[in-house]
Amino acid sequence: MSSAPDSAPARLREAWREVGSALRVGRDRPLLARIAGTAALLTGAERAVLYLREKGGWASAATLGPDSPVLSLPEPCPEQSGLFDGRLWVRLEAEGELHGILGLEGVGPDEAVELAEFLASFLGPALGAHRLSRLVKEADFEVRTRLLELESLYDLGLSLAGQLDLAALADEVLFRSISLTDARKGSLVLLSEKGAVLLSRHIGGELVSPRQAATWALPQGVATVNNQAALLPTAGLQLDSCQKCLAVPIAVSGRGLGVLAVADKESRDGSVLDFTSTDARLLSLFANQAAAAIETARLHGEAIEKERIERELELAAAIQREILPRSLPSIPGLELAAANVPTRQVGGDYYDLFPLSEGRLGFLVADVSGKGVPAALLVSTVHSAVHLQIDEAKTISDLVARIDRHLRRFAATRKFLTLFFGVIEPDTGRFRYVSAGHNPALVARANGRLDRLDSTGIPVGMLPGASWREETVELQSGDLLCVYTDGVTEAVNERDEEFGLERLSEIVGRGARRPVRELCDSILSSVADFAQGVPQYDDQTLLLARRS
Amino acid sequence: MSDACKVSVERRGEVAVLWTDGYINNQGGEEIARESYRQLESGARALVMNLEKTRIVNSIGISILIEVLERVMDKKGVLAFCNLTPTIDKTFRIMGLAQYASIYPTEEEAFQAVSARV
Repeated sequence: MSSAPDSAPARLREAWREVGSALRVGRDRPLLARIAGTAALLTGAERAVLYLREKGGWASAATLGPDSPVLSLPEPCPEQSGLFDGRLWVRLEAEGELHGILGLEGVGPDEAVELAEFLASFLGPALGAHRLSRLVKEADFEVRTRLLELESLYDLGLSLAGQLDLAALADEVLFRSISLTDARKGSLVLLSEKGAVLLSRHIGGELVSPRQAATWALPQGVATVNNQAALLPTAGLQLDSCQKCLAVPIAVSGRGLGVLAVADKESRDGSVLDFTSTDARLLSLFANQAAAAIETARLHGEAIEKERIERELELAAAIQREILPRSLPSIPGLELAAANVPTRQVGGDYYDLFPLSEGRLGFLVADVSGKGVPAALLVSTVHSAVHLQIDEAKTISDLVARIDRHLRRFAATRKFLTLFFGVIEPDTGRFRYVSAGHNPALVARANGRLDRLDSTGIPVGMLPGASWREETVELQSGDLLCVYTDGVTEAVNERDEEFGLERLSEIVGRGARRPVRELCDSILSSVADFAQGVPQYDDQTLLLARRS
Repeated sequence: MSDACKVSVERRGEVAVLWTDGYINNQGGEEIARESYRQLESGARALVMNLEKTRIVNSIGISILIEVLERVMDKKGVLAFCNLTPTIDKTFRIMGLAQYASIYPTEEEAFQAVSARV
């Protein structure tokens, strides 16, 4: 601290030694209050006020003594220190710059000029240093804030790049948006491609409801600033719970994915500030990063779902492979062939053969509704039911009814199946069968005639208490029986035409004398030729039997 | 995390442990400052702020925390933060709070450290 000026009165020169300790009294009090207090102490003033020069004018920074009447700064501001209206006004300057004005009430006129000079000489530099320090701190804070924004953008990019959880992603974006715009509240709503709400997050209350977000027509590619949101709609939407608002759509290639909105930018004094173009730019950048991350998360979700389906299909195919017969039985008097061509979708086709007493052969061809694991599990249930009931059933109709009851009792899903069950007696040529809603089987007679064996009842599992009619036909030597599933006749080509029963009938009729294995392969290759590589959505199953 | 920041405190000798729950903005910062000053006035020489339940801090909240830090330093006291999210941890370091206040992973570590310094 400098020495006391020579012009200072003796009393003040003596007091100078006390100035340092006076300024240090109560160091936990703000410096500005200490400056006002020190001035009052040294001059014996009853009241003191310190005005600071701020950007917008003058602001009272510290007062001492009774608050009223207010020690208002004279208009215009005093050009030099001295008495005005009975009060001493001291200009506090440092380095040629005016930093503040000290007002003192209750100071006598005799020593006013000397007092003013004395106070200005040490309180001016103290205030100047304080203001400079504060400006440096503010500038430092501002620089650090800008650095924080940049770091946040960088960190958000890194964080979102590996973030596949939509909820965590939404929190990350919303938290940073609110934090860096100093907003009091904010909402983030993510929407599906069809406009349904995927999730919504809110801080400080619900600024934008999910329903509002779904229909909010925010301009694309730019943030909408509305610093009069309490009075005027924001992009057509009147927000009830804020004064000022900043909103931006989250979009990828013009496709809306959601809305990010923040409101009411805070200030240190509690007032609400206008959102700036910097805030708008920052929010747009966050929204862009969020959009890219959300799209990545969505694509990842789709990939996971695809993988799940692939695994499910593999499982279904494995179940089906285990159930289908690995080889055909050798039955004297019968020539047999069977094939199953599974599709990628894994349908519910099933066939089985059962050598019975007295040289008879029972066989089954079934088609379960649905695809994938549920269909494969139902096939498994049918397989169990047939093997459990076949020895107990008195007739084929009885067997089918038992299968129907078994499915109703044990099947996990409510589905139905078409089924053809037949029993051939090779010795007599008698063929009994039940067709539960199944495609018509074909009998290519040795004499060239082609018969169709139509359905004798409704599909199994469709109606409780259903019954099935059992039919009997005679198979002559050389007659060929062809039972198949609709995957054969409904195979489609690229013109969406079906292979159809007529084509199948023609091939079966034409090949009635060919070895059944050869004919079976021929039918399947004809179907494949017809489809011309078009992926099929249903299994193809074929069973051929010719009486020798 | 609730919307309005709540502050609770426990005094352990010369150390006051404050827990925040919510957004440290102007309102939240004022709550923290009020409680901190009350503790300093009543003789606390060290403050431990546990921000486990705070996930957002804005610049107003940070400026208030800096004011609290200055007040603590004027009194030759100690301020420590703990249980910060990685985002808040980085924010405090960039904004300069970590220059004069210490940051610890857990409340236990923070308490032990400040207890040894008062």
